[in-house]
Amino acid sequence: MDSRHDIELSVNGDTHRISVQARRLLSDALREDCGLTGTHVGCEHGVCGACTVLIDGRPARACLTYAMQMEGHEITTIEGLGGTDGYSPLQQAMQDEHGLQCGFCTPGILVTFEAYLRDNPDPTEDEIRDVLSGNLCRCTGYENIVAAVKKAAAGMRGEPE
Amino acid sequence: MTVDSEDFTEIGKPLPRREDRRLLTGQGRFVDDIAIPGALHAVFVRSPHGHARIREIDTVEALELDGVVGVFTGKDLNAWTNPLRLAPPIEGLLPTKMTTLPEGKVRFHGDPVACVLAVDPYTAEDAAERVAVTYDTLEAVTDAAAALAPDAPRVDDDLESNLVSRQSFSAGAPAARRREAHAVVEAEFHQHRQTHAPMETRGCVAVWDEGRKHLTMHIGTQIPHPLRGQLAGRLGLSESQVTVVSPDIGGGFGQKIALYREELVIAALTRHLKRSVRWREDRLENLMAASHARENTCRTRASVDRSGRILGLEFEITEDFGAYCFYPANYMSRVVAMILTGPYRIRDYAYEVKVALTNKCGSGPMRAPMAITSWVMDGTIDAIARQLGLDPVEVRRVNMLSPADFPHTMPTGEVLEDISPAETFEAAVKAVDVSAIRRRQGATCDDGRLIGLGFCTVVESTTYGSHFYKSAGIAGSGHEAAWVRIEPSGAVNASVGLMGSGQGYETPLAQAVAEGLGVGTDDVRVHMGHTDIAPYGMGSRGSRGATAGGGTLYLCARKAQERVLTIAAAVLGLNSADTASLRLRDRRVQRRIDDAWQDTELTLRDVARTAYLDPTALPEGVPPGLDVAMTYDPPPMTYSNATHACIVAIETATGRVVIERYLVAEDCGTVLNPVVVRGQQQGAIAMGLSGALFEEVVYDASGQNMSATFADYLLATACELPNFEILHMNTPSRQTPAGIKGMAEGGVMGAIGAVTNAVNDALAPLGVVANRQPLSPQYIRGLIRSAENTKNPRRHGS
Amino acid sequence: MKPVAFDYQRPASVEDAVALLQAHGRSAKLLSGGQSLGPMLNMRLVRPEVVIDLNDLLELDYVREAADVIEIGALTRHHRLATAPEILRALPLLAYAAATIGHFAIRQRGTIGGSLVHADPAAQLPLVAVTLAAEIVLRSAAGTRSIPAADFLQNVMTVDLNEDEMVVAIRFPKPSAAKAGWGMRLFSRRRGDFAIVSAAVWLRRNPDGRLADMRLGLGGVAPVPFRLHDLEDPDDEGAPGESWASDLAGQAAQRVEPEDAPGLPAVYRRELACNLLRGALTDALSLAGERHG
Repeated sequence: MDSRHDIELSVNGDTHRISVQARRLLSDALREDCGLTGTHVGCEHGVCGACTVLIDGRPARACLTYAMQMEGHEITTIEGLGGTDGYSPLQQAMQDEHGLQCGFCTPGILVTFEAYLRDNPDPTEDEIRDVLSGNLCRCTGYENIVAAVKKAAAGMRGEPE
Repeated sequence: MTVDSEDFTEIGKPLPRREDRRLLTGQGRFVDDIAIPGALHAVFVRSPHGHARIREIDTVEALELDGVVGVFTGKDLNAWTNPLRLAPPIEGLLPTKMTTLPEGKVRFHGDPVACVLAVDPYTAEDAAERVAVTYDTLEAVTDAAAALAPDAPRVDDDLESNLVSRQSFSAGAPAARRREAHAVVEAEFHQHRQTHAPMETRGCVAVWDEGRKHLTMHIGTQIPHPLRGQLAGRLGLSESQVTVVSPDIGGGFGQKIALYREELVIAALTRHLKRSVRWREDRLENLMAASHARENTCRTRASVDRSGRILGLEFEITEDFGAYCFYPANYMSRVVAMILTGPYRIRDYAYEVKVALTNKCGSGPMRAPMAITSWVMDGTIDAIARQLGLDPVEVRRVNMLSPADFPHTMPTGEVLEDISPAETFEAAVKAVDVSAIRRRQGATCDDGRLIGLGFCTVVESTTYGSHFYKSAGIAGSGHEAAWVRIEPSGAVNASVGLMGSGQGYETPLAQAVAEGLGVGTDDVRVHMGHTDIAPYGMGSRGSRGATAGGGTLYLCARKAQERVLTIAAAVLGLNSADTASLRLRDRRVQRRIDDAWQDTELTLRDVARTAYLDPTALPEGVPPGLDVAMTYDPPPMTYSNATHACIVAIETATGRVVIERYLVAEDCGTVLNPVVVRGQQQGAIAMGLSGALFEEVVYDASGQNMSATFADYLLATACELPNFEILHMNTPSRQTPAGIKGMAEGGVMGAIGAVTNAVNDALAPLGVVANRQPLSPQYIRGLIRSAENTKNPRRHGS
Repeated sequence: MKPVAFDYQRPASVEDAVALLQAHGRSAKLLSGGQSLGPMLNMRLVRPEVVIDLNDLLELDYVREAADVIEIGALTRHHRLATAPEILRALPLLAYAAATIGHFAIRQRGTIGGSLVHADPAAQLPLVAVTLAAEIVLRSAAGTRSIPAADFLQNVMTVDLNEDEMVVAIRFPKPSAAKAGWGMRLFSRRRGDFAIVSAAVWLRRNPDGRLADMRLGLGGVAPVPFRLHDLEDPDDEGAPGESWASDLAGQAAQRVEPEDAPGLPAVYRRELACNLLRGALTDALSLAGERHG
């Protein structure tokens, strides 16, 4: 039962060949085995949202997923966001609106909204808050994160600020 | 040392934070992100009982597991480390002693009893399950009142009772005022147990260099140098044998101040095994066993005249401190008592502070350790208004200190000056349109909601100077240390003993240096969190960062500018007396000629080159190099002030409290960076509201922690918190560098008071009062139900 | 917070999955979305020897509409339930319920089969399955059986599922859309938490406004969600009047016997049941009134 399995993880377009126990959490595999420490571990029971990554483009808790499950699937982490000039529109808006303080919850929020805004380019504040309720932040009180998502969405729709 | 803030060029700019880029792109460096090859992983075995004797610890099965390196218990650790003795000379405080791991008995659910080391965390957890501990359970005490009963089981066998600290004080003659009073108003306030819940739990990586006999501790700590001193002392090492390195920290809120037993165990095992060891606390442990906070019960008795004017005030506070003293037990409640009267004119005042040990996780300071202060004081004002049938706004006005009253000496001897409570209060009153809300409340339409308006005026103790610590009976110093170094290239490095845990120090502190030195903020880099680099400072606690840290850096940078200008004067061939006519601006030396500043073509880089590479050209008495260090002890206390206003709607059928509007008028003096300050205001209010409405650490009668997951310990989400309207006011301090006063905790104080006062305003027509938090729907609905049953006893509750 | 060691199996078909179940029996645990099982594994509250991962069984991820039934594959995720046009049109109550589960990221992974097997007393999908009289389709190596949701849910986190069986589909009878209305109310401390109490209503009116058909479900007041069958018979006194919802909700509240829990007295749950059911009834009636068939 303790045996290890050699698997391939496809993360941000790169292939990582790693050897894991079946029980290894995707969050641990990304951080320890792939060296992608931008995905943070906040609760390991699916509530805080800090470890959220994209699986085939859909947000999911890496702490509730096992690395073994991910063979044949495409994972996107915080390290895979942003274009060649560094920031995605949402990353830029988060800085502009002071949407982060300690930054520990931030990767999960960015990853979640990268997916959400793709399907929902013009969300209301209530809709943004509903989606954001899946990510706990202890520092900001959320107001500036909401403002950042609004601003990023407007920018992505090509509207002037 | 007054400074006209309008002259500032760098201080006060809304600059974006420089730490954001790394945090937004996944390049932050938190403790767990630091790879140390070959490090062992630690998992702690913890008590499943609230109170029990340890009869036996059997580690055989655990050690049999492949990959397990060792299992260590109190017997091992206590031989390798010194206990923590807390015996500051404080009247009424019992001295306490804590070993690194318990040997005789466990005192709370989650108390660590053994540490397993293995090659990976999965194996370590497998092994921890196999450590068989046999306990004889003991009766647990789980609330302060029970703990103080004469025959209560004792939490600490070394103490004669659970009353670990007791102080009292009286100024004037409050008992006499009671006899003279038109009315005596009594009120009660129960604040529940909470915990900091930073998104990053505790953790550390310890590395032992056997060749150098040196310990490097990577740990997210708010106070690197004091922590180094603690580590060295408990390990029997010299402070020169320990380096504390603090990387990015995912929130602290006071939880990352103490040296915890787990961290000490890791350091001791690293040295013992000569192997690197790392520990990452899981969330269950963090909620159960890191540090708790806040649990206390307060009573006030106010003697008032017909207008609601307070003639005398008596105050009792009893704190449930948990099982262990990581801090002197008087540490938090006594500050509440000392600053209680805050913005109100009260001369006759007495307090009694009691602190009890119980079988719960030990308590510590949490963002605004004096959080309950403003709720108690403004809640008392509201109780006066209710009992006397007066307008709560008017009762506040009758009692509030006016501008002419400052400087004002509080009955406890603390001095308030450069604050503006009447101004923030009136600004808040004006902004909320009180009469419109009263009209809404008076309207007959019954939509199943009760509307309430609450105010809370806060006088926030921000920067604790050494004098305050001494007068409050708290061991410690309030000074801070900094250095500013202009390198030969003209680059500016600076350092201070603070350590941020997410507030965003890097930008505002660079602004303070830039302002003092005469360069742009982008030219300055501030280094923190490494005890071999930073000067010995007291670290981050309270709201001292801006005044103590920013102030010291600002003063140090000004001193550096003076040095630069002295050299510049010599290079320019001026007399040393002409230095006063020079200044540094944007890295260039300027000279005042006929009341106009003119460029001299001399740059900071030129001066630095001279200072380092051509020291014979320096004027007499000026040492080579451009390296300036200094320490600074702020005044005994600085205060910021604010008035919070909250409008709530209570759904009568469910008891749910919905915040309709929240605003705060705040005066925190000179602001280093308004972006960061606004974030701190929002974050503090959010933490206050989350605590007052949702969060609660729950223990059952046997001492089982019932709230150790994020599904049970409820942090407010984005859907439960409102946006915050913030009105900025600015009264610079005349006692501090650049007029800085500090902030970041007052939001908690004001929020828990304003929301509770609003709820009670809404409930007032029913004749019931919410005097305990959290203001959960079941609690509020229970109050409404009791009012309905009183009004119509036969009617069914729904 | 790491699971015990287990073996991992990823069957390529339902046949393979039930064969694995037959081989491993009680020592195996089926993993679908993992949003409830994951935390229990990480906390070691569940300690399987084998985890059988269903996530790549795309044959179980479907919504199929027939004349009188909508069949939903067990692996269909909540997000799809909430957004699939067939469900929005024919089973809007189910779509709404799914949209309120947990959070956005949770809904991308959580599955209808997993939620029903988990059987949390306050969960949305068991309540809706009971209210809308869904049938749970179970499969083992021996064959297939089908069971009403109300019988499938036996007790707190306990369902009628043999150790060699798995849920493969849920069949919802397609109610008539003519003059139909629905309502669902949930009360939780925070957005996304399990409700303390929940109420679901589906009803249909006659052209004259009288009730033709009604289903009332409550969650969070008993070990499993249940229907209030004896209150569902429409009375013959004509169209529902002003106090109809209040009266009916009051009667329902008298019938529930929630348990006292620490910090949550039974009386509070009863009050919530009354309030939420009244709200759901009002919503349902108003929808049914607006939609002239």
